[in-house]
Amino acid sequence: MRCQVPRTFSGAIRASLPAFLAFCAVSHTAHGDWTVATSAALSHDNNVSNAHSYASVVEDSSAAATVSVLQLMQVGENTSLAAGGNLSGQAYERLSGLNEASLEGVLSLKRKWGLGAFAPWARAGISLGRADYADGYRSATIYRASLEVGKRFDERVSLWANYGFEHRRASPTQAEFYGVSGDVFSQNGRALKAALQYSLNARISLGLGSLWRHGDVVSTTAAGTYLYANYKAVAPDPTFGAGAYAYKLNGTTYGARLGVDYSLSAHSLIGCGFQRLETHAQGGNNYSDSVPQLTWTYRF
Amino acid sequence: MRTQFTAGIALILACAAAAHAAELKVTVKDHKGKGVADAVVLAVPIDPRNAQRVRPQPDAVDQVDKEFVPYVKPIFVGSTVRFPNSDNIRHQVYSFSPVKKFELPLYGGTNAPPVTFDKPGVVILGCNIHDWMIGYIYVSETPFFAKTGPQGTVAFNDLPPGEYTVRIWHPSMDRAEETTSRRITLAAEAPASAEWQLGLKPSIRVPRVSGGASPSYP
Repeated sequence: MRCQVPRTFSGAIRASLPAFLAFCAVSHTAHGDWTVATSAALSHDNNVSNAHSYASVVEDSSAAATVSVLQLMQVGENTSLAAGGNLSGQAYERLSGLNEASLEGVLSLKRKWGLGAFAPWARAGISLGRADYADGYRSATIYRASLEVGKRFDERVSLWANYGFEHRRASPTQAEFYGVSGDVFSQNGRALKAALQYSLNARISLGLGSLWRHGDVVSTTAAGTYLYANYKAVAPDPTFGAGAYAYKLNGTTYGARLGVDYSLSAHSLIGCGFQRLETHAQGGNNYSDSVPQLTWTYRF
Repeated sequence: MRTQFTAGIALILACAAAAHAAELKVTVKDHKGKGVADAVVLAVPIDPRNAQRVRPQPDAVDQVDKEFVPYVKPIFVGSTVRFPNSDNIRHQVYSFSPVKKFELPLYGGTNAPPVTFDKPGVVILGCNIHDWMIGYIYVSETPFFAKTGPQGTVAFNDLPPGEYTVRIWHPSMDRAEETTSRRITLAAEAPASAEWQLGLKPSIRVPRVSGGASPSYP
């Protein structure tokens, strides 16, 4: 797999990276409640372009890696504050313009109602991040807010749900295109997720998740094909080749994921999963994605 | 000269006592014949005079790499246990067990006050911060107890001769502890051995690392 570092590795990330690395170094040496986790994934998306028409569908494989560092601060008997950051990157096999590096700062407040593993909990979180793509016009500053609730019923079964808002603010480089906004990659969306985890035995667990998302979606057409709809924005999208156009539409996505994880050790697991997303976008520009995935997670 | 004489008398007495001690070797296996580690073996003398007056000893259960160490800790009733924290993060140790309910507010190092276990039975330990952490303290009513090693064996070398009820406890055993009871008569200079076969339930613990079960929108 060819790995290309984003060409437009922006000043924001360049400036933030040393701070993040310093943060990691401090977390390693400091006497505090730090948690560090790393994960990696290989996945294949059969419709990276989110295309409605078969002629525009582009599939590709990607490799992604994330390092997360969080500091946990107990602020009350059952309340904790977590602050930290995620550094991640993703590289595509063919669509190198989608290669990206991102940095995100997160802050969350968690409350447990009771003592122990089976007490219900809720977490409110906000994050601010920057994603820099090799094709810089996709790069965006990302604002997120979420509310999550969960409950472990016993050693085998755990259930949680998450409701969140996301605002992506892309670099304002896209000019108006035939009187329509060219700001395709600035997007708003809200999503509700629910997930159930079931441990089959000491090493193997099943995960079942569902997603509902409503908001802006981006669908790209290949050269010579067009979307006929009241799209919110349109811009050339050379990531998918000369003559390709990206359209911002309003859409609702329904998704499901089924996964199996196998614990390699107390600290690490590997997993495989399959995710299916169905999006109903305005103007009948519906599309679907199927994403099989292999994952590896290590928590220190 | 006098010191040497006293030491000699003490050695003779010790040897005499050892000569009159009984030995018992216990092996605990699972249904596949594999040795079961962390099984607590309890020898309760039928004659209460054989239960020597043993003073409870201070003990400790450490926290290392976000796990309780040891996983199973047998202690004599009335013992006091400290919970040092060898991790560089804080823990909040608790137990809901009827035998001993307690909570140690978030702490690091060796600052937590010791806990006295004054009733016999099983105490399940947890950490309110790290949900996967689980440990067991077995509070024994008899001073004659021990825990099996990795091979599933344990040896008692200094039991007073006589009749005993011997039973086994393990966190994953699939039957009641009382059903493992056996009467064993021990005589001095006649080492005895006994073997138990235990069915073990699958050990399901709260996972330390979870996969991403939620779908994500690209």
